Amino acid sequence: MKRTRAGWYEAARKAAALVPYLAAVAAVFIALAPVYWLLTISLKREVDQFAYPPQWIGFTATLEHYRDAFAGGSFAAYFENSVLLAAISTLAALAIGVPAAYGLARFEWPRQWDHRIGDWILSTRMLPPIVTIVPLFLMLRQARLLNSLTGLAIVYTGFNLPFVVWMMRGFFEEVPKEIEEAAMLDGESRAGALLRIVLPLVRPGLAATAVFCLVVAWNEFLFALILTQTEAAMTLPVGIASRVTQYEIKWGAMSAAGVVAMIPVLVFAAAAQKYLVRGLSLGAVKG
Amino acid sequence: MLEITGITKRFGAREAVSAVSLSACAGEFVVLLGPSGCGNTTLMRMIAGLETPDEGTIRLCGEDITRRDPRERDIAMVFQNYALYPHMTIAQNIGYPLRVRKRPAAEIEAEVKKVAARLGLSGLLANLPRQLSGGERQRAALARAIIRRPKAFLMDEPLSNLDARLRVEMRAELKHLQHELKIVTIYVTHDQAEAMTLAHRIAVMRDGKIQQFDTPANVYQRPLNTFVAQFVGSPSMNLIQRDGVILGVRPEDVQLSASAQAGASPGRIYVTEEMGNETIVVVSDGSSQITARCPAGARFEFDSTVWYRFKPDKVHRFDSSGARIPD
Repeated sequence: MKRTRAGWYEAARKAAALVPYLAAVAAVFIALAPVYWLLTISLKREVDQFAYPPQWIGFTATLEHYRDAFAGGSFAAYFENSVLLAAISTLAALAIGVPAAYGLARFEWPRQWDHRIGDWILSTRMLPPIVTIVPLFLMLRQARLLNSLTGLAIVYTGFNLPFVVWMMRGFFEEVPKEIEEAAMLDGESRAGALLRIVLPLVRPGLAATAVFCLVVAWNEFLFALILTQTEAAMTLPVGIASRVTQYEIKWGAMSAAGVVAMIPVLVFAAAAQKYLVRGLSLGAVKG
Repeated sequence: MLEITGITKRFGAREAVSAVSLSACAGEFVVLLGPSGCGNTTLMRMIAGLETPDEGTIRLCGEDITRRDPRERDIAMVFQNYALYPHMTIAQNIGYPLRVRKRPAAEIEAEVKKVAARLGLSGLLANLPRQLSGGERQRAALARAIIRRPKAFLMDEPLSNLDARLRVEMRAELKHLQHELKIVTIYVTHDQAEAMTLAHRIAVMRDGKIQQFDTPANVYQRPLNTFVAQFVGSPSMNLIQRDGVILGVRPEDVQLSASAQAGASPGRIYVTEEMGNETIVVVSDGSSQITARCPAGARFEFDSTVWYRFKPDKVHRFDSSGARIPD
């Protein structure tokens, strides 16, 4: 059948409409390929790990690497450290950052301070983290907090704080001031209005902010590597990397630990997903 | 009763409210009328405790409340944008002031039902604010204000977000409600018609100062200066410069005739606006324009000549600074 010019045009249009979908599928493949590879390595016997051509599917599965990584105890301990650290530093950053953000959003500041406080807080995020490593190391040593979860928790809290302040300030600014004033006239103190009226309204923002803090603390490698050298305070990312030794690289155990390390973040993000999308787009409007 | 003495509020170098004194008797409806930025909202916020005055005192029922927290004043406020709590149902919104006061749940429920029935909200109690229309939200905000029978009501342009028809309806409802509750009410607006219809007394404000504080009739019939004269009344009062004084004449006190009459001056018809129940005629006499309110059916052609005169006992006289010259 001979196509008319209009027919060709129609066909081209249909094909063009598929392009975004194809691009999206390709992006998903590219993003998930390393994750899939990690998963397969963690399940492959050592002999199959570097077989050529690569065995994408249909290899003999084994759980020995998981046993190796976690039964020995060390990865389980790292996992626990990471959970504690992420939870504590996130809670601390929220506990300090949320009131700070509220203050910046709601109260009048002396003219010479207005804006600048926010800018100074943000400026701490502008320097590359590595330049703070040496001073931090010295300070923690002075305070005898090297090789401790407490030390790392303080560092992570400080690291996440500017982010919390800036995110939450935007959310607070979006709550009409009158709603809070109405609550105060209805009989609430300012703190009561904040707790019972404003915080419930910024819940999406809180959830989004908390997820970000958790992920940052959970994945952080540089500070953890340099500020902790003993097993007792080792976090999962550092623990995984420590399996690259002078004599061998334990790909199987590292991959198994890596797979397990992804789970908490996935679970948390899934639980907070409803808020996450709303929170991110809300924050984008302002602040 | 509410007594405000010498209240001043500065924002930086600007005085938003300058040494204002004002009092409202028990059960009185006082309207703070003025253009935006005249300080009426700031004055109201100081009564509410949302702003702290730089000078002066505010007394409510004999107690000095100038520096008290908003929650310790027992004043309820209705905001322009209603300020309902978006995450609570209408029932929770209305009951909130009682919940904060830790009243028993059964009592709160009963009170909410009573107030909701009174304001026609009974069917909407389980809804969230965003599911309500503007008028319904307005009534919910009112319900939340009246449920605890406060010592005073503050209303900050509560009707300005409603469409014209609803505004007139709610205006009447509000007036009746205030009459029933007999609670002193301070009401901020820039709409002179709202002020005239609602108030027992109107405080006309400009640049942070009260220009005149009197009954609607007196404000209308004996304005103390040209600002009040022009701000109150629609269409606004004609002001005509003549021999060093300013003559003020309300449009209804201008008489037009098609033929020459004793004491009348000639002018040309600039425009006529038929309102249905009356006709507004604007006459140009060369140097200025004079607005006249004529009966419905008055017919004038563009640019035709008419003769106008002022009812002699209805001419207000102001000096060059704008202050009223005593009769």
